[in-house]
Amino acid sequence: MTTPLLEARDVEVRIGEAHILKGADLTVDRGSLVAIVGPNGAGKSTFARAVAGMQKLSAGTVLWDGTDVRRLRGRKLAMLRAFVPQRARVPDGVDVRQAVEIGRSPHIRPLARPTRADHEAVDRALERAGAADLADRRLSTLSGGELQRVQIAVALAQEAPALIADEPTAHLDLGASATLARLLRALADEGLGVVLVVHDLALASAIADTVVVMSEGRTVAAGPGEEVLDTGRLSEVWHVDAALHTGDDGRTALRVDWLATGRTPEMKETQHR
Amino acid sequence: MLRQTTVLVLAAVALVASAVASLTLGAVAVPLGDVADALTGKAEDGPFKEIVLTLRLPRAVDAIVVGAALGVAGALLQGALANPLASPDVIGVTAGAGFGAVLILLVFPSSIALLPVGALLFGSLAAAIVFAIAWSGRNRGSIGRLILAGIAVQAMFGAMTTSVMVGFSDRVQSAVFWLAGGLTSEGWSEMAVAWPYFAIGGIVAVGLVRPLDRLALGDEVAQSLGARPQLIRLTAACAAALLASAAAALAGLLTFLGLVIPHVVRLAGGTHSHRFVVPTSAILGAALLLAGDTLARTAFAPIELPVGPFMVLLGVPLFLWLLRKAV
Repeated sequence: MTTPLLEARDVEVRIGEAHILKGADLTVDRGSLVAIVGPNGAGKSTFARAVAGMQKLSAGTVLWDGTDVRRLRGRKLAMLRAFVPQRARVPDGVDVRQAVEIGRSPHIRPLARPTRADHEAVDRALERAGAADLADRRLSTLSGGELQRVQIAVALAQEAPALIADEPTAHLDLGASATLARLLRALADEGLGVVLVVHDLALASAIADTVVVMSEGRTVAAGPGEEVLDTGRLSEVWHVDAALHTGDDGRTALRVDWLATGRTPEMKETQHR
Repeated sequence: MLRQTTVLVLAAVALVASAVASLTLGAVAVPLGDVADALTGKAEDGPFKEIVLTLRLPRAVDAIVVGAALGVAGALLQGALANPLASPDVIGVTAGAGFGAVLILLVFPSSIALLPVGALLFGSLAAAIVFAIAWSGRNRGSIGRLILAGIAVQAMFGAMTTSVMVGFSDRVQSAVFWLAGGLTSEGWSEMAVAWPYFAIGGIVAVGLVRPLDRLALGDEVAQSLGARPQLIRLTAACAAALLASAAAALAGLLTFLGLVIPHVVRLAGGTHSHRFVVPTSAILGAALLLAGDTLARTAFAPIELPVGPFMVLLGVPLFLWLLRKAV
C-alpha cells in the first residue's frame, strides 16, 4: 500500500476558548479530488488551514507523504501543498505575471534572481490555470472569475503535489464556477491531489472523487457524493428537506423544498421505526 | 521595467547632483575641482580642504544616510502593514525620539553630547512598547492593534514631551530647532554613535525585500508560500524602528520623508514590488534630503532654515499633485 499524499486523523483545533475542530479525518491521494462540504461554522476552512499547516493543531495528526506537518516548515511545506484562499488581497500596481512570480518564490534562493526554469514554471502555471491571456493585466482590473483562475495559477507556480482551495467559487457566477470546477477536475486528472472546500453540493458531488461532510467540528461522512449526500444527511446536517439527483447524463441537481423546515433528528428516528 | 529603470536612474542622477551642490555650495563656494582634490586626499591643507572635509562632507553623508534610512523605514512599514498611512510616526518612534531629545536638551543640557543617544534610546523604547502590546495575547500581530497601540504610545510620549517643555519653558528655545528637524555641521560625532543602527536596519531591510513581496497577495498566500507573515511584520517594524530612531538622533523629526518617499516611488514606478520600492526609496530619500538641506542652508544665507519644515512646505504640494493624478 502506498502512503497517501495527505492523511489527517482526529484533528482538533482550539482557538482561545473556542473548540472549533473536535475530530476531523481526511485522506487525499495523488490524482484525486476531495470536496469538503458542510454548513457555515462547521469548521471546513479551519480544517483546510489545519491540514495545510497554517493553523496550529491542538490534537491529532496530519501527515504529508508520511511526515508530520508539525515538522514541516517554510519551503518544505510550500513544496508539498499550495493553498488558495477564499479571497486574496488584490494589491494595486501588480500585474498577473508578477503575482504568479510571487507564487514561484519558494523555489528561488534568498537574494538569488529567478532562473529561466522559474520563468518557464510561471508560464506553465498561467497556461494550466487558463490565465495565460491575462498575464499582462493588472490584478485590480480582473473579474471575480478571472481573479480566482489567477489565484490557482499562483498556487500552481509552487509546483506542489497538492492544492487546497478554500471556497474558490464563493463569489462566482454560474459560468465562472463551472469554469473553475472543470479546471480543478482537470488538475486532479493530471495527478494533483486537490482539496476543495465548497458550499455547492451539486458541484461537489459532480466533480469530487470523495465528498467529506463536516458538521459541528467533526467529519461525519466520506464517500462518493451520491452516497454521503442522501436525503437523511441533508436533513440532519443542513436542516433542509432536499435530495441530490445525479442524472444518467452526469448532470447533478439539488432539489430543495425551500419552504419546508428540515426534519429534526427526533422526527427521523420515528420514521426509521 | 523601462519605467522603473528610468525612475531609478533619475533618482540616482538627482542624488549625484545634490551631492555636488552640497559639497560646492555654501557661504564659501568651493570649486568642484577642489572638492574632488579634497575627497581624494590630493588637496593641500587650506580653507577649502577644511570646509569640505570637516564641515560639508560629514553633513552630506548625514543627509544621505538619514534620507535613505527614512525612505527605507517608510517603505518597510507601508509594505509590512499593508497600510498607506504607515510611517515611523505610527509605531511611536518619532514621538519617543522627540521625548528623548527634549529630555537631554532641557533637563540635562550639560550632557548635550548624549542627545543622539537619548533620541535613539527613547525612539527604540517607544517602538518596543508598541510591539510588546501588538504581539502579545490573542490575535497578536494584527495590524489594527499595532496601529492603535502606536497612536496611543505616540500620544503618551507627545504628552511627556509637552510636560517637559512646560516645566523647563525658559530653555525651550534650544529644543525648537531640533524638533523642527534639521542637520547640523558637527562633524562625525553623531554618526559615530548611530552608524550601527543604520547598518543593522539596512542589512535587515535588504533581507526583507522578498518576504515583503510574499505578503502582497495577503497573509494566506504568504503562508501557502511557507512564509510567516507575523514574523515578517515584526522584523520589518523592528528594522524600521532602528532606522527611524537613528535618523531622529542625527536630524531631529523629519518624519514626513518616511511617509511620502515610498508613495512617490510607487506612483512614479507604477509598481509595488519591494525589489524596486525599497532601494529606490533609499536613493530618492537621500537625494531629497540632501537637496533640501543644501537649499535650506544656501537659499537665505547666512540664515539657515530648518530643513524639516522647509521640505514639508515644498513637498506637500508636490505630493498632493501626485496623489490627485494617481487616485
